[in-house]
Amino acid sequence: MRVLVTGAGGALGTRVVQLLLAEASIEELVGLDADPPRRRLRRATFHRVDPRDMTRVAGIVAGFAPTAVVHLGAYEPGAEAAATTAAARTDAGTRAALESAALVGSLERLVVRSGLEVYGRARGAVTVPDESVAPDPTSPFGRSLLDVEHVAAAAGRRAGAAVACLRLAPVVGPHVPSPLGRWLRLPVVPISLLADPPFAVLHHDDAARALVAALLGGADAVVNVVGRGAVTPFQAARLGSRMPFPVAGPCLRPTSTGGPLWEIVRRAAEVAGSSMPDHLLELLSRGRTADGGRAREVLGVEPAHSTAEVIKALYDWAPVTPLRVRDETAA
Amino acid sequence: MNALGARLGGRFEIDEWGYDDGLATLVDPVLGLLLRVEAEGFDTLPAEGPVLLVANRRLGLAEPAVLARAVRRDAGRGLRFLGIPDVAPVGPALRRLGGAVERPEELAGLLRAGYVVAVFAARMWARGRVGAIPPELLAPASRLGVPAWPVALVGGELSGRWRVAAAAPAPAAAATVHERLEALLDRLAPARWLLG
Repeated sequence: MRVLVTGAGGALGTRVVQLLLAEASIEELVGLDADPPRRRLRRATFHRVDPRDMTRVAGIVAGFAPTAVVHLGAYEPGAEAAATTAAARTDAGTRAALESAALVGSLERLVVRSGLEVYGRARGAVTVPDESVAPDPTSPFGRSLLDVEHVAAAAGRRAGAAVACLRLAPVVGPHVPSPLGRWLRLPVVPISLLADPPFAVLHHDDAARALVAALLGGADAVVNVVGRGAVTPFQAARLGSRMPFPVAGPCLRPTSTGGPLWEIVRRAAEVAGSSMPDHLLELLSRGRTADGGRAREVLGVEPAHSTAEVIKALYDWAPVTPLRVRDETAA
Repeated sequence: MNALGARLGGRFEIDEWGYDDGLATLVDPVLGLLLRVEAEGFDTLPAEGPVLLVANRRLGLAEPAVLARAVRRDAGRGLRFLGIPDVAPVGPALRRLGGAVERPEELAGLLRAGYVVAVFAARMWARGRVGAIPPELLAPASRLGVPAWPVALVGGELSGRWRVAAAAPAPAAAATVHERLEALLDRLAPARWLLG
């Protein structure tokens, strides 16, 4: 298999590449990302390219002619890039990589990183959706992920390839720059006064194993991948011996900024080093869980870490400080 | 005090629906003080696996609590019930006690997870009448092969006295369940006048 991994420079991408390189069936692997990978990847070729440079991305993909693509180039707003940059990278990178891969003609398998954010949390929405529930995103990140799924489905149809969309719970890990992780590790954790809803997370190692299993097994389905159980924002803060700070914001619309009090909190948190993108506010005020029962059946794997275990471990991990790249231009 | 300390320290468990069994267990004796529930037929509920209860309601305020009390006391299981408002702070608070929004997909998920789930017919103010039961709401139960137990509730919010009866389970077809539920409610008619 000749595998292209987009988003290979992130913590999740690097882990996926490491796991794939251990597989004998992988003949050649090429990684793409705006940032360099987190570990030395000996058998892989890495291209540092801004996903917004569609011509260059399309050229690399066409030159490599992959038989399989693992598309992790769905950038979470507030994680490593600001919301607008993340959305632009996701949109342009997805179109360039997947449409080129479909046109090359050799594509057989496509695995896409999506997220539970695609289900949204509109008023009266299903709180624990399974894959049969129609997506109805209510945050910019959710809409961005749904768009990725649509582009992937179209590319798969054109190439006649199997397409696996993995809707991951918020991914948290020791080296993963996650807005949720940063938020919960603030010394004082702002939470909603009116609601303390459940949410689930996924350890980044479990996410990587699920993505690799989907590729190797040639999965052709949409699958939720979610850590067992759930916690609430209050519970998470207390498990980390943090002080929860209830904010009486209305959050009447899931996509709203949450009213003036939440706006003050958002700005204060930014000063403390944590952003609050809309999908994070949605999680804090409306919750985010899903039925992950299908993962074992389709992928043959299930998350080894429960949500509570990941949240407890979150407070023991060293802080993630992205290093400034000396050369800002992607070579 | 230990329980309070554990809760303030975040040392409690909730599931994906937000249900907190520890909290529901703590609330149950309080319900016992507020509601006098006379129940029949709940001791035959399976000890594990999915169970669907279809009940009538008038106001719909006390009925979930009455049913939760009967199920916990006679069958030793917690109850999930559909029909909560998805508005904070009421919705999230009721989710802690077993509430979920009234959607077929939500019912399907709860049954797949093996819980006792109550769905209610549409509110019907007239005594002894059963409101409409949307067929699409019960469709997941038919698909999963989970039978429906008709459950008749008679009582009053002000008096706090309730009589609840569960009939034997049968395939979860809305029309059949409605018919059996009306017959069961008729059987409780004397209690209706006594308790109302």
